[in-house]
Amino acid sequence: MIKAILVFNNHGKPRLTKFYQYFNEEMQQQIIKETFQLVSKRDDNVCNFLEGGSLIGGADYKLIYRHYATLYFVFCVDSSESELGILDLIQVFVETLDKCFENVCELDLIFHVDKVHYILNELVMGGMVLETNMTEIITRIEDQNKLEKQEGPYNSASPSSLRAGLAAAPARAVSAVKSMNLPQQIKDIKLPDLPAAIKDLKF
Amino acid sequence: MPAVRGDGMRGLAVFISDIRNCKSKEAEVKRINKELANIRSKFKGDKTLDGYQKKKYVCKLLFIFLLGHDIDFGHMEAVNLLSSNKYTEKQIGYLFISVLVNTNSDLIKLIVQSIKNDLGSRNPVHVNLALQCIANIGSKEMADAFGTDIPKLLVSGETMDVVKQSAALCLLRLFRTTQEIIPGGEWTSRIIHLLNDQHMGVVTAACSLIEALVKKNPDEYKGCVSLAVSRLSRIVTASYTDLQDYTYYFVPAPWLSVKLLRLLQHYPPPEDPGVRGRLNECLDTILNKAQEPPKSKKVQHSNAKNAVLFEAISIIIHSDSEPNLLVRACNQLGQFLSHRETNLRYLALETMCLLATSEFSHEAVKKHQETVINALKTERDVSVRQRAVDLLYAMCDRSNAEEIVQEMLNYLETADYSIREEMVLKVAILAEKYAQDYTWYVDVILNLIRIAGDYVSEEVWYRVIQIVVNREDVQGYAAKTVFEALQAPACHENMVKVGGYILGEFGNLIAGDSRSAPVVQFQLLHSKYHLCSAATRALLLTTYIKFINLFPEIKSQIQDVLKSNSNLRSSDAELQQRASEYLHLSVTTTTDVLATVLEEMPPFTEKESSILAVLKKKSGRMSAQEAQREARVQAREGNAAPAAEKAQNAQLKTKSPSNAAFPIPQLNNSTSADLLGLSTPPATQNNTQSNTGVLVDVLGDLYGGGGTNTHNGTSAPATISMSGATDNIKKFVCKNNGVLYENDIIQIGIKSEFRQNLGRVGVFYGNKTSMPLQQLVNCECVEDFNGLPDLSVSFTYGNVPQRLALHLPLSCNKFFEPTDMNGESFFARWKNLKAQKIFKATGPMENASIKTKLLGFGMQLLEGIDPNPENYVCAAIIHTRTQQIGCLLRLEPNRQAEMYRLTIRASKESTAQILADLLAEQF
Repeated sequence: MIKAILVFNNHGKPRLTKFYQYFNEEMQQQIIKETFQLVSKRDDNVCNFLEGGSLIGGADYKLIYRHYATLYFVFCVDSSESELGILDLIQVFVETLDKCFENVCELDLIFHVDKVHYILNELVMGGMVLETNMTEIITRIEDQNKLEKQEGPYNSASPSSLRAGLAAAPARAVSAVKSMNLPQQIKDIKLPDLPAAIKDLKF
Repeated sequence: MPAVRGDGMRGLAVFISDIRNCKSKEAEVKRINKELANIRSKFKGDKTLDGYQKKKYVCKLLFIFLLGHDIDFGHMEAVNLLSSNKYTEKQIGYLFISVLVNTNSDLIKLIVQSIKNDLGSRNPVHVNLALQCIANIGSKEMADAFGTDIPKLLVSGETMDVVKQSAALCLLRLFRTTQEIIPGGEWTSRIIHLLNDQHMGVVTAACSLIEALVKKNPDEYKGCVSLAVSRLSRIVTASYTDLQDYTYYFVPAPWLSVKLLRLLQHYPPPEDPGVRGRLNECLDTILNKAQEPPKSKKVQHSNAKNAVLFEAISIIIHSDSEPNLLVRACNQLGQFLSHRETNLRYLALETMCLLATSEFSHEAVKKHQETVINALKTERDVSVRQRAVDLLYAMCDRSNAEEIVQEMLNYLETADYSIREEMVLKVAILAEKYAQDYTWYVDVILNLIRIAGDYVSEEVWYRVIQIVVNREDVQGYAAKTVFEALQAPACHENMVKVGGYILGEFGNLIAGDSRSAPVVQFQLLHSKYHLCSAATRALLLTTYIKFINLFPEIKSQIQDVLKSNSNLRSSDAELQQRASEYLHLSVTTTTDVLATVLEEMPPFTEKESSILAVLKKKSGRMSAQEAQREARVQAREGNAAPAAEKAQNAQLKTKSPSNAAFPIPQLNNSTSADLLGLSTPPATQNNTQSNTGVLVDVLGDLYGGGGTNTHNGTSAPATISMSGATDNIKKFVCKNNGVLYENDIIQIGIKSEFRQNLGRVGVFYGNKTSMPLQQLVNCECVEDFNGLPDLSVSFTYGNVPQRLALHLPLSCNKFFEPTDMNGESFFARWKNLKAQKIFKATGPMENASIKTKLLGFGMQLLEGIDPNPENYVCAAIIHTRTQQIGCLLRLEPNRQAEMYRLTIRASKESTAQILADLLAEQF
């Protein structure tokens, strides 16, 4: 069973947290901190598994993680999950995000936290894997989008005004308007490195 | 198909960039509080918030929550959103609840109705939102509210696949909180048959559910085995184009394959030869595919393929029945050991650990020893090295122990701090387990201390001392080796402790060599003295007094040390006491006395027996804790005999011969003669303490003067009457700790604990100035018994032998386990089982003291069961090795008559009588 899914950036700022077992808020923050400390000190070419931190269940649990550009995706699982299977799942999650946001980057996770949760809900439910077929997941997200569209646009903010609000962010980072022609093949995604100006900003 | 609308939320963007621009934590908190106040006022104020605004505010709250701030409002708004007609509003309401509402919240009652409506919706997207929410909260209330709806959704023919899939996992989540939620009967087969579903996603989800159900009730679900095998076979043997979307990087449905293989590991290999053959065929195919060239260079391809392969290997190990497959699995793992992917090396090491435990493959695993050792040396990743250590430990046996231990020692020098302690323990265990030559063992442990002294726990260095003391053949070698080790300019304190102890005991064995002459030994140890902690110094002081005994020629030098201000006036009371007592001992006693006091330590009891020396009685109607032992404990009773100047060594002997009160048929049987194995001084860990204890006693006369010897003086011979003790022993029926016996010379205390049929009694002997000498008696209740075991204590007091005949306070009721039950079952049992006693109260009949006694007796006091509130009823089970005896008790006080009526019923008649006798004496 998956106990928690944590996404944080290279500085340990959480970008997405989802706990499938109840921890109070304070504990959640401590777990995030501890996990970041465990994961961030590891080189990039070591293995993707390590024993769970003391807070989330000790040696019975494993942290399985991947590091993409500025973000760490960490899944905390018990011994009933296949390690390589979870690595695949992280990959499916990231590829799905990439398809939905086109070249997903850290900012997408910040500004569309709702969307990210909806996508995750299609992958994992109650700590168990729900669906691994990316086509299927994307179909479901599209169904949701259709429902949203039917209810009509109610937003007043235009893409340009959004960009004005985030003057420092280049257009690409918050790629608001996405092209309809996506390249068909799935890239082995590397998230785009943001220009230094963004990277050094603290969240 | 970008799924994200081409919009953003301006307010959210502004807020986030504001936070980002905050220069300090305080500024951030201030900004957040401002925003919280804003949102709160928006929620409270005009009701005209549109969907966009609601969504914006909820997103802001989520962001604030993610930064680690508590959100204490907005819940009601979220609850209201659930019943909205608009999908987007509903969705955001569910999101808020899933992130911020925990299982115990009162809000749950409020959302049940909305969820129910959505579950009944025709739109699968709405149903899924509801299912996700139930699974997120997963509380008992959820299980109660939806326990009937969800199983129906799962098996109904009308349910869409998307919903079925979610329903399976939602049900699994609720099953984890409330096991009764899964209906039995025909549902079992309907759930199992989900494995045949067309939709692979449904099968994957169902597989997770079935696995959890199988864990609870494997028999009921064993029908899933053949279905799982045939499903697996269809996936494994299908060409990858057949499964379309469920092919992941050219691997057919890797997730489902892994799940199915996991499920099958809950069962032994299938009995049906057809099913079994099919499974083996699958495993064979998976192993074969591993050898084929990869269809893609992508890491995802190899990951997916190997995920299935590792799962196949673990089912092969799990069944442990196909030698052919086991060897192939082992070879495959061997290949992975030197794979360039770190993840695969990690998993191969981990999986091989399991293989090493199988008799078919243990030898095959050993072939890879070199590779594993190499991994230990060259792996850059501590996680992988840790697995290599585990595997080396698992593959170790007599043939390769020396090499493996050596390699682990080598690695220890550079090992990561996080795993050192565990490694030290592993090395110590292997060295002891496989030692053929104990000099090797001594070397290993001393090396451990040298390399990783900080990580050597007390148990490890106690153990090496125990082994050296017990094995004469290594004593000289150990003395020589520690002497050499101590010559290092910086050596670990643990080394000083071991060195101090061993040289104090066996330094004489190497004193012949001028390089390790007594004075050299002493100076070497003393050069470390000032760097050590008080505990180590105390140990060294004991070594010094032993040196005075072993090497009289350096007596004056040692006395100088003992006399020095830093010791005699040490701020540490223990050091001060030792220094002054040892000094006086060396001054006042004759060499003979000194030699007796400081005699070599007797061998330690073998570890196992000291942990659990079980007293047995082979046969006989009665059973008791019979110990026949002769524990020689060096001790000395306080004595102010005229001959005070030659303080005498006394021996406190405890001896408990069998007694006529215990009809023990096989009295002469040697098995009952020395079962306790307590032929040594007390517990191993307080060696030094017991030494002190001895010496405190010896010196009692020097300090205490002659005051203590009054009546039971020197001339009075013989056995001291045990009349003083009889009263005390009765008290022990209802308590476990206390003073068993006390007179002017000796006090005997008891501390005991019991668990089911086993017990442990600590007996403490001492006079009033001393630290008690302790003796541990382990016992087991074999059958119910009457009476008490004898304890006979003999010692010399002022040259006069003394003897005490006492009893160990071990009565039948000590082995009670309190049992709770309700009135109905109490009286149902009451009718079956009887011993009755009517007796006069000897003390006041106070409720509180009666209660205390009954609880102390060890039974469960059952309140509110007897119709008469004045009466007491209790229940408990006596655990013996052979049977469990249920006991019920009813005590009826009659205050006018000052009488009690005690009725005890037990599943064994004799027991009832014994208990009635025991308890009646208490009132």
